[in-house]
Amino acid sequence: MANPLVSDRLIDFLLYEVLDAEALCALPAFSEHSRATFDPWLGACRRVAREVLWPTYRPMDLEPPRFEGGRVFVHPSMRTCWRELVGLGVLAASRPSSVGGQQLPLTVSTLSNVYLMAGNLSAYAYAGLTTGAAHLIEAFGDDAVKSSFLAAMYEGRWTGTMALTEPQAGSSLADVKSTATPTSGGRFLMKGSKIFISGGDQDVTENIVHLVLARIDGAPAGTRGISLFAVPKLRPSGEGLRANDVTIAGVIHKIGWKGLPSVALSLGDEGDCHGWLVGPANQGLKCMFQMMNEARLMVGANGAATASAAFHESLAYARERKQGRPLGSTDANAEPVALTEHPDVRRMLLRQKAIVEGSLALIGLTAQLADWSEHAEQAERRAEAKLLLDLLTPIAKTFPAEKGFEANALSLQLHGGYGYSSEYLPEAWLRDQKLNTIHEGTTTIQGLDLLGRKVIAGGGAALMALDGRVRDAVKRAQAAGFDAAPLERGMDELARVTGVLGARGASGDVLGMMGHSADFLELASTVAVGWAWVEVAARAVQNDDDFSRGLRQAASYWLATELPRAQHLARLCETNERSYLDVNEAWLD
Amino acid sequence: MPIKILVTAKRVEDYESKIKVNAQGNGIVLEGLKYKINPFDEIGVEEALRLVAKHGGGEVVVASVGTKDVHEQLRHALAMGATRAIWVNHAGPLDQMTVAGCLQKLIEKEKPDLAILGKQAIDDDQNQVGQYLAEWLGWSQATFASKEESLESEAEKSKTPALQLSADAKTLTVIREVDGGLETLECSMPCVVTTDLRLNQPRYASLPGIMKAKSKPIEEHTPATLGVDATPKITVTKMEHPPARKAGIKVPDVATLMDKLKNEAKVI
Repeated sequence: MANPLVSDRLIDFLLYEVLDAEALCALPAFSEHSRATFDPWLGACRRVAREVLWPTYRPMDLEPPRFEGGRVFVHPSMRTCWRELVGLGVLAASRPSSVGGQQLPLTVSTLSNVYLMAGNLSAYAYAGLTTGAAHLIEAFGDDAVKSSFLAAMYEGRWTGTMALTEPQAGSSLADVKSTATPTSGGRFLMKGSKIFISGGDQDVTENIVHLVLARIDGAPAGTRGISLFAVPKLRPSGEGLRANDVTIAGVIHKIGWKGLPSVALSLGDEGDCHGWLVGPANQGLKCMFQMMNEARLMVGANGAATASAAFHESLAYARERKQGRPLGSTDANAEPVALTEHPDVRRMLLRQKAIVEGSLALIGLTAQLADWSEHAEQAERRAEAKLLLDLLTPIAKTFPAEKGFEANALSLQLHGGYGYSSEYLPEAWLRDQKLNTIHEGTTTIQGLDLLGRKVIAGGGAALMALDGRVRDAVKRAQAAGFDAAPLERGMDELARVTGVLGARGASGDVLGMMGHSADFLELASTVAVGWAWVEVAARAVQNDDDFSRGLRQAASYWLATELPRAQHLARLCETNERSYLDVNEAWLD
Repeated sequence: MPIKILVTAKRVEDYESKIKVNAQGNGIVLEGLKYKINPFDEIGVEEALRLVAKHGGGEVVVASVGTKDVHEQLRHALAMGATRAIWVNHAGPLDQMTVAGCLQKLIEKEKPDLAILGKQAIDDDQNQVGQYLAEWLGWSQATFASKEESLESEAEKSKTPALQLSADAKTLTVIREVDGGLETLECSMPCVVTTDLRLNQPRYASLPGIMKAKSKPIEEHTPATLGVDATPKITVTKMEHPPARKAGIKVPDVATLMDKLKNEAKVI
């Protein structure tokens, strides 16, 4: 059977049993929806993923975009992918009807998009970036900006990008140098260089709208002087479009996500690059965070999708491939057994399952919080959901990418020598996955964000909200007969060490607080995914079929083998273990 | 000239489901099965939508017979773009005569210019309803409608209909699949067409289409209100899996092979 990419039964179970997607339909925002719209939508996404996107995945990986004559040419099959994605209605699916959308809950659209990502993550990214960029204009643009760009983007005639990074600044957005000079007509003349711009040029749509961070002349230094602009490749001029002095300086040769061009952009080489201010001057970074947070969740979903496709590939392979005899068998003439008969192979499979499905559950929970934070009727409910969403965003971005990379490596490992053969797919997914720990904020950035901002915000209110959710889930799971005690102990450690580190920060000892931010992120991720698994297990206890048993087994595995690490990680943070903090770079070679 | 086309949407088991014979040996295990629109019918819906689009509008009416569950398949066709739906409410076994009878009565009522059905359903592979229907209506029929170009062709990408309706809508030219290749028929209208797999690549239901389908009407009938006797003329007495294939053997030489083909397999 063909690779399913993502388990339908799991997604249905997450949506309807764990996340109770139908309950969302009671909210006024989603009153047009019910399972009768969710199911056909999921069905359509599954088919487009398997029948349209998936067959183009390998060809696009093998033939990356070409840069010729100052233009980027992408794989020809991207046109078909784009046409079908636009036709499906993904671009405005979760946007309100006022902008031509269908107001689908993010809980549903996120988990349905996972199929499209698993089918061909590069192809989906054109859509994801366009939606994110259009949403930014929708949220912060004035009428002139909206009327110039919004419809063309949501209708899929133009694509969108986010253009933040500059060669000299890298991840440090405070050092952005691109400039914007006001003109008498209300527009700005843009000048600067941007790098690693995904979808920064392509030959699929007639135009591209870049959402650019730059400084208006005379703006203060640092992040407080950054503004946001819409800068199209071609600008509206009379009835038509004309070149907007956006030059492609080159394409990046990447190891993964090869179907999606990543380019270096040069703005205003000829002094004729027009930009439209989006949102208030000097508040650009704040506005941009909307798109960055959405993109972070998208990367997390991509991480889960990429690990999922590889997991199903290796599961099918292990079931089919006969090799060796069971441990302890001495009969050299006995028939070889399937790889799945070997305990260590089952370890590699169950670990992948725990990572992949735990990630999907976490992504689903996070998307559900995004829905509640926006649309819940009571203000307190919205506020609590927003706190948790902010707290979980760096985790939901990082865990599927970092642990997904491990899962992808296991999928490759399980294929033996074929795993490192480029004729087989696991190596391609492994390459793709590596990008997910880097773009949209590296793991380092996510660790600093979680510990430096999120867990201490509001005097630790977000962590207390998580604590409440975790204990509630533990209680329900225990009542249903599932042993969730290790999660409770992990949560205790997380709460305790956060208190210690927070106090250090409050007393001015920043390095004492932040020295082990990566370990803290891992600790919080281990607990968060433990929570996701306990939510799943609490609802999987009623049934005794293979599917439910598999979920309980994976949940128990995570709790038994990963949660005990919470103590160790907490100790590293608490003692601020000195090895790398005290190392001198001169000692390193 | 606007045209009106009746299409069908049978509810069938998803071809990716694992089908098992039940303990009584007279049917299949229904638990845990997923259902879809019969893929041949879906091709019929697509072809009807293309024809209507090409001929300046009209109506695509989709019909199905079964319990309320068939609404799922009707809604699917509506989400693809069909105009409205007719549901013949019936629980219990159905055979091809009952289905063709219901469709005949609906067609006499609706008076479409054309009926496009799947050539068969992927559950029982009967391949009979279209033929019965044409005979009972006294209409011409073209079964196994196919396409000259491949499904990857430019014509298919631009969603050109394979069925060609004359400008006066009096005749329909149909390319159909036969054993030796393709043949072209010209049918007088009205007629019944049944679709083969290579006729077209059906569109996917879009989210806007799914939302619109919610408010499209589904009209209800029963075999009784249509005046159709739904008593099955066919009963399933036994259902079993085909015998498992035996493992192959290696023969030492050509002579043995010939001997086995002649005397054991009796194929030459």
